[in-house]
Amino acid sequence: MTRPGFTASTIINFAEKLEEDASRFYEQLASAFPQGRETFLAFAREAKKSRALISRTYQETISDAIETGFSFEDLDLNRYAAEATVTGDWSYPDALRAAMKLEQEAARFYLELASRSQSLLATIPRAFTRVAQARRDRAQKLSSALSALKASDT
Amino acid sequence: MPLLEEPIKEVLTLRNYIGGEWLESQGELTDVVNPATCRVIARVPASTGEEVDKAVEAAKEAFPDWRRTPPLARARCIFRLKELMEQRFEELSRVQTMEHGKTIDESRGETRRGIEQVEVATGIPSLMMGYNLEDIASGIDEYVIRQPLGVFGIIAPFNFPFMVPLWYAPYAVAAGNCVVIKPSPHVPISQAKLAELVNEAGFPPGIWNVVHGAGPVASHMLEHRDITGICFVGSTPVGREIYKRCGETGKRVIAQCGAKNFLLVMPDADLPRTIAACMTSFFGNTGQRCLSGANLVIVGEGQNDQEYEAFYRKVVDAFVEAASKIRVGYGLDDTVQMGPLQNKDRKERVLGFIQKGVEEGATLTLDGRNVKLVGDWPHTCFLNPTVFDDVAPDMTIGREEIFGPVASIMRARSFDDAVEVIHGNPYGNSAAIFTSSGKWAREFQYRVQCGNIGVNIGIAAPMAFFPFGGMKESFFGTLHGQGQEAIRFFTDSKVVIQRWF
Repeated sequence: MTRPGFTASTIINFAEKLEEDASRFYEQLASAFPQGRETFLAFAREAKKSRALISRTYQETISDAIETGFSFEDLDLNRYAAEATVTGDWSYPDALRAAMKLEQEAARFYLELASRSQSLLATIPRAFTRVAQARRDRAQKLSSALSALKASDT
Repeated sequence: MPLLEEPIKEVLTLRNYIGGEWLESQGELTDVVNPATCRVIARVPASTGEEVDKAVEAAKEAFPDWRRTPPLARARCIFRLKELMEQRFEELSRVQTMEHGKTIDESRGETRRGIEQVEVATGIPSLMMGYNLEDIASGIDEYVIRQPLGVFGIIAPFNFPFMVPLWYAPYAVAAGNCVVIKPSPHVPISQAKLAELVNEAGFPPGIWNVVHGAGPVASHMLEHRDITGICFVGSTPVGREIYKRCGETGKRVIAQCGAKNFLLVMPDADLPRTIAACMTSFFGNTGQRCLSGANLVIVGEGQNDQEYEAFYRKVVDAFVEAASKIRVGYGLDDTVQMGPLQNKDRKERVLGFIQKGVEEGATLTLDGRNVKLVGDWPHTCFLNPTVFDDVAPDMTIGREEIFGPVASIMRARSFDDAVEVIHGNPYGNSAAIFTSSGKWAREFQYRVQCGNIGVNIGIAAPMAFFPFGGMKESFFGTLHGQGQEAIRFFTDSKVVIQRWF
């Protein structure tokens, strides 16, 4: 039980949904933009792995989190509820930019969770940090792709 | 918030699991009610004495072969059970919320703690090893073999429908014994689901049996001459009776009973973290936990009267403020932080204690009788967190186990006074101290007569590989459940002294 604020289940559901949305988003991008298909599909697979990691970590540590007391109050989930929908009129660079924004926001979310769970079993902050790192890596790859695209345009 | 999907879609009619088969009982059926919605979710039989006999007979028949099964092969069965529990983790958890009322986080925590017992029991080849010594005399060696004993009965409580039988059953069967489990008739579904997994895991018939029912089934188990030992979790009066009757019939017994747990707050405690831990301790599982905080003792060690009054008020205010914000409702709404009492009689009982508290002069600082819920649910089993202030240790609410979301706040001017208050209570299950001082923590763990001690821990729940203690009126028996002690309980130590001519 938390103090007024979120239950662990609420937070984990939110994180799981972020990963599901990301996975679906990249699958849609893969269909819409053949030039980035392999990369987007790889990102979709990573998001599925992240979801599994989050679910597993939660199921394996929830008893500790309850007994130790976790602290997710005052967390503003709306800040991180980014829209993960592909819009029909996007160009490929638009898609890369939207994906990059999504990844950066999600990385911030996971880092905040990691920081708030430092007092819990090490497994918990470590999982959130791993997912944050995966998100940052993807943001970096997207940024590089965007730069490469700009370079080829000039 | 939308509810998580309920795994029980239609009213189940529960059957006994005996000798690897699902057998319909001849006993009368009673309703199992979801305490949040008040809907009937199952019907459970009050099994007959003959059905208990049949389960014991099946277990007895299975024992010789199971006992001869190598420990590693037994461990493989238990590994398969663990794997199935992981696969069905979510369903098992939601069933607990439906039949008990606890929140989904709490149910998942319970599922995990249950699985941990199974995980530890898979180590049986190491756990069960004996020991030896050469040359105890000229050319003579001596060694100890741990041997299983036969059939054990497990009589389970209503507050942790999934986990509690797993404090015992995995160790018993891993060691080569067979079990007959009697779940609480209020919450029998979790054990039925678990037995489905046992069946799927390929345990030979008769190793693991489940017989539904209430007191008469338990009583029949106590009298059964082919049951070697009993594991019980429940109230102190029943535990004492079980201990006595097991003594008369020569059975081993673990009886984990009632509690009245004291949590001390010292002036040097980290208050925000203490209050957070207290919320879980007092109101987690709606206070229906033998390790729940019951009495919060605010200790004024080293303070003058003025300082103490300010400290006392600060702790009370922070505690009440946090308790008042706990969201109460149906546990399958995962924003909910506290569920209902398990049934309406439980709620009536708790209401009786609250009334007593008022009559005996404690200050009702937070009145949970004014039920406020998240969602539109019948109020039948719900209470909100309740806090009494200025409770004296001899008041009914300060002395007796309430088993509900009611906190009693007490004063103690010194550490010694606080320890005296704890020792004035007949129970000795758990106690905790919140402090930044190693000195007080050490004094506390050294002096306090309780089986489970928390230092800056609100719920001092032993992990599966440690024994679950209990002292005074909270425990009857010698060895405890879980870990190595459970293995010792479920085995006999045979000594062999050997010489070859």
